[in-house]
Amino acid sequence: MFTHNFKYTLKTLFKDRTLIFWTFAFPIILGTFFNMAFSNIENSESLNIIDIAIVENEEIKSNEIFTTVFENLSNENSEDRLFNTTYVTEEKAKELLENKDIIGYMKLEEENPKVIFNTNGIDQTIFKYVVEEITQTSEIITEMATKEISKQFVTGNFNIDYDELYDRIIKLAFEQEVELNNISNKNLSYTMIEFYTLIAMTCLYGGILGVVAINKSLANMSPQGKRVSVAPTNKIKVILSSVCASYLTQLIGIAILFVYTIFVLKVDYGNNLGLVVSLALAGCLAGLSIGTFVGTIFKTNENTKTGIIISITMLGCFLSGMMGITMKYIVDKNIPIINKLNPASMITDGFYSLYYYDTLDRYIFNLTSLLIFSAVLIIISYISIRRQKYDSI
Amino acid sequence: MTAFKTFFKILNKNKFIVIMYTVILIAFGGFNMQTSDSSINFTASKPDILVVNNDEEKGITKDLIDYIKGNSEAVNIADNEEARNDALFYREVHYIVYIPENYNEDFLNGKNVNLEIKTCDTAESSFAEMLVSRYIRTANSYREIYKDENGKISKENEEKLISKINDTLSKNTEVEITSKLDTNSLSKATFYYNFVNYSILAALVYVVSLILSSFRNKKIQRRINVSSTTYRKINRELLMANIMFSLWLWGIYVLLSFVLIGKIMFTIQGALYIINSFIFTMCAATIALLIGSIVSNKNAINGIVNVIALGSSFLCGAFVPMQWLPDTVLKIAHILPSFYYISTNEKIATLENIDVSSLKEIIPNMAVMVCFAIIFVILSNAVSRKKRRED
Amino acid sequence: MNNIIEVKNLEKKYKELTAIDNLSFEVHEGEILGLLGPNGSGKSTTMNCILSLLNFSKGSIRIFGKEMKPDAYDIKAKIGVVFQDIAVFEELTVYENIDYFCGLYIRDKETRKKYVEDAIELVGLEDFKKFYPKKLSGGLLRRLNIACGIAHKPKLIFLDEPTVAVDPQSRNNILDGIKKLRDNGATIVYTTHYMEEVEILCDRVIILDKGKILATGTTDELKELAKIEEKVTLEVHNFDNENIEKIKKLTNVDEVTFNGSSLVVTYKKGKHNLIDMIDYLKKEGIQYNKIYSERPTLNDVFLELTGKELRD
Repeated sequence: MFTHNFKYTLKTLFKDRTLIFWTFAFPIILGTFFNMAFSNIENSESLNIIDIAIVENEEIKSNEIFTTVFENLSNENSEDRLFNTTYVTEEKAKELLENKDIIGYMKLEEENPKVIFNTNGIDQTIFKYVVEEITQTSEIITEMATKEISKQFVTGNFNIDYDELYDRIIKLAFEQEVELNNISNKNLSYTMIEFYTLIAMTCLYGGILGVVAINKSLANMSPQGKRVSVAPTNKIKVILSSVCASYLTQLIGIAILFVYTIFVLKVDYGNNLGLVVSLALAGCLAGLSIGTFVGTIFKTNENTKTGIIISITMLGCFLSGMMGITMKYIVDKNIPIINKLNPASMITDGFYSLYYYDTLDRYIFNLTSLLIFSAVLIIISYISIRRQKYDSI
Repeated sequence: MTAFKTFFKILNKNKFIVIMYTVILIAFGGFNMQTSDSSINFTASKPDILVVNNDEEKGITKDLIDYIKGNSEAVNIADNEEARNDALFYREVHYIVYIPENYNEDFLNGKNVNLEIKTCDTAESSFAEMLVSRYIRTANSYREIYKDENGKISKENEEKLISKINDTLSKNTEVEITSKLDTNSLSKATFYYNFVNYSILAALVYVVSLILSSFRNKKIQRRINVSSTTYRKINRELLMANIMFSLWLWGIYVLLSFVLIGKIMFTIQGALYIINSFIFTMCAATIALLIGSIVSNKNAINGIVNVIALGSSFLCGAFVPMQWLPDTVLKIAHILPSFYYISTNEKIATLENIDVSSLKEIIPNMAVMVCFAIIFVILSNAVSRKKRRED
Repeated sequence: MNNIIEVKNLEKKYKELTAIDNLSFEVHEGEILGLLGPNGSGKSTTMNCILSLLNFSKGSIRIFGKEMKPDAYDIKAKIGVVFQDIAVFEELTVYENIDYFCGLYIRDKETRKKYVEDAIELVGLEDFKKFYPKKLSGGLLRRLNIACGIAHKPKLIFLDEPTVAVDPQSRNNILDGIKKLRDNGATIVYTTHYMEEVEILCDRVIILDKGKILATGTTDELKELAKIEEKVTLEVHNFDNENIEKIKKLTNVDEVTFNGSSLVVTYKKGKHNLIDMIDYLKKEGIQYNKIYSERPTLNDVFLELTGKELRD
């Protein structure tokens, strides 16, 4: 009986094209859109080479510091290249700025550099900053030179090798490497969160499968359910078998999504496959438990129940960052309790902790939360299903 | 006017969908509107930098912290490593500097202590790193000047050193901003009208195609065919109703933009946003016309419209700004009307003054949308004629 | 005669409304029992109570001599139910649907296969085995609905309005099928508001209204309850009051009504009433289009008992 019902439930679920679209195809389509839209975001946010111009006049030609610095920072072979610099007339510079070919230009007049921009922005700030640094470093050099020369005078050395001194000071001022130890975690790609919420959405959408399966086995929900109720079979057994079939369907859907996101979209779920699978299993279970809960507690038609599941899912995914990754952070930081109760966030955060953190505490917390969440809903559903007779049908 | 009335009756039943997408528009539009700083002077970008100080806050340590704070946005993060890691991942901070114990002491004694940092490799992080490096480089340089024979800084020189550092670092470069545009408000308006793309496609197209398809439903179509009202008349009424509803929804979105964005909407740029969205709304209505005549299954319409709305919005830059999209995606996006709508919005935001040459950049886009609309109308007519013949 | 079902003092209340009011009856082995009543008279509720789907406030129900409970699987195994709503899966074919529901009763695959084929044959869906329900006409869908309920060859079958909205051909097929089931030894409880079907099909009838039994008996027994014995209808245009008064005085005549185009004369008893009438008309030289005589129907019985028509 268990396998008989299981087999036919699978068949009905897979034949339901709308259901399959929303639980199988839609996440894949959405994932593809995410990939297309977000694949470049992180590149765009990192520092790119900035197009600038310098107004070519006599003064700049004779100012070695400025030309050398910009030459170094525009060196195509250098890893630290910051700018793409062109020397042009002021009119040309204005034109380039107007056409957005450059973000700004610099003009050196009477030892006073001036930068001209169209708008505010990080690139502009960096340009301004570099120009400032040159002025500041010049000052340091002057200070150092004066100090050094006076030192030499004090020691009675009037035969100063100015070239050597100049080189030494320039070296100190410009080529002094500042070493910083980068201790950040390697995996910093925050668009991954989008894909994690996608997995969460798919897991929770699985609840629809649960609703459909349960609805077809309950006498007070559907005419088919009445048939099941008058049959000489244990209702709990039938429902268990239907629910198992929807769980299997759900797992197939999520497996396809995983394969697609890993191999086609190159989503990174961290290195521990076993933990990823466990989380996905728990996530699907949470979705299923929402399905059984909605399916048994609410006494309305299937469409309304599906609507309820979709609303819960979308709200949950919204709070865990699907429509804007910062939303998850804002909620986590300010009202953490919401996302501690939100299954979509438990799933998302679980994947995030696997991806970003080396320790497993947070992952285990999320996994346990999912299991507790599912258990509570399943127990409530069970109590409600156990009722064998109804007051009205 | 039966068809006309029925149209609005069915619409009334689906009003929830329309309300929902409008609320989403307000939520996202409004959410993004909060940073209101509409100055036309240059303001340096300040990166979000977090300093974790394990040293006593005095001497060079204090000065470094003050310098970073002066050049960065203050962020409020809970004092534990997990919170800091989270903040870095979600780009709440772009750079974290850890100042080790005894940093001040070690520095003054001539030791070079490497700072530990965390970065998320954005332009802001790079800039933050430049700031920190500059301070250290300047400090190191001046230490060379003020150190004694043992390579140490004496007590009396410490203050001199610090004031020298600050003196140098406060040297400013003169900046001139050429644009007179209120870029902040304009980018808000662009964001809002780009988002309208999604709301229009998801709400208007869904509801209208749903209604039209129920009119195109075979059984109802037959009933209409045998009724005394002519096919032509019913089509005309449906078109009218469709246009009225589209105008109404467009009007609401425009009104909302006045409320949410404010005075920039009263400029010529504002007018251009409105005209552009009008053309797009009409184009969307013709999309609905086409879908309504091709698809008759309610569930299928839901799926198709969702894919079209999300697809157009993601690929054409309604959610993620266009300049951040990969080139290949933008190339694909050329086949979608939304692309022309959104690129027009982006262009409007940068129009310095409105003249013939600047309009030349906008009008072709609008023409493309009109062409799309005409094609959709022709297609949907062809389809429904074919379907009628098959009956 | 064995009693397959014994219902005693059954009462079911929905808040204020009493849906079933102190109902007691038996169903005998091998009979087709008709539960007749207008919509909302409590037929389906009675059935759902008997099947242990609904809670009831008072009373007892015994089937096959045992008390009926939700987990009385031995009883349930011998029952087949065809509900009023079409209860099939859109996603499964005709064959698969029957096989699924039959599989809830019959585990052995070979037996089940045979049973499913038998059921398909019984309702005449041989040509539609691979069809999906969406492709079936209303009548065929009803037949499938029946096949799903009875494929496991139950001893006791409940049919709840199985012929609602069905074309005449399918209706005949369905009624024939039900007779066949009875002939094969099943006991049938048949719920309907079509009295014609009851007259053709049922051995015994229970007339229900507002949750109460109005009358029980064979169709003939019930008809005796009606005070009238015969009804003669005459299509005629001009008929004056004088003539009406004269007809009223004829032998056995109980009541005469004339509505401008037809004259209805009811008789309490007697034979040759129609002949007497024709003789009278000839004698008076009255022209008429049509004249026919009717025996009372269950509708008349119902009308007599409740003062309203069976079908509103």
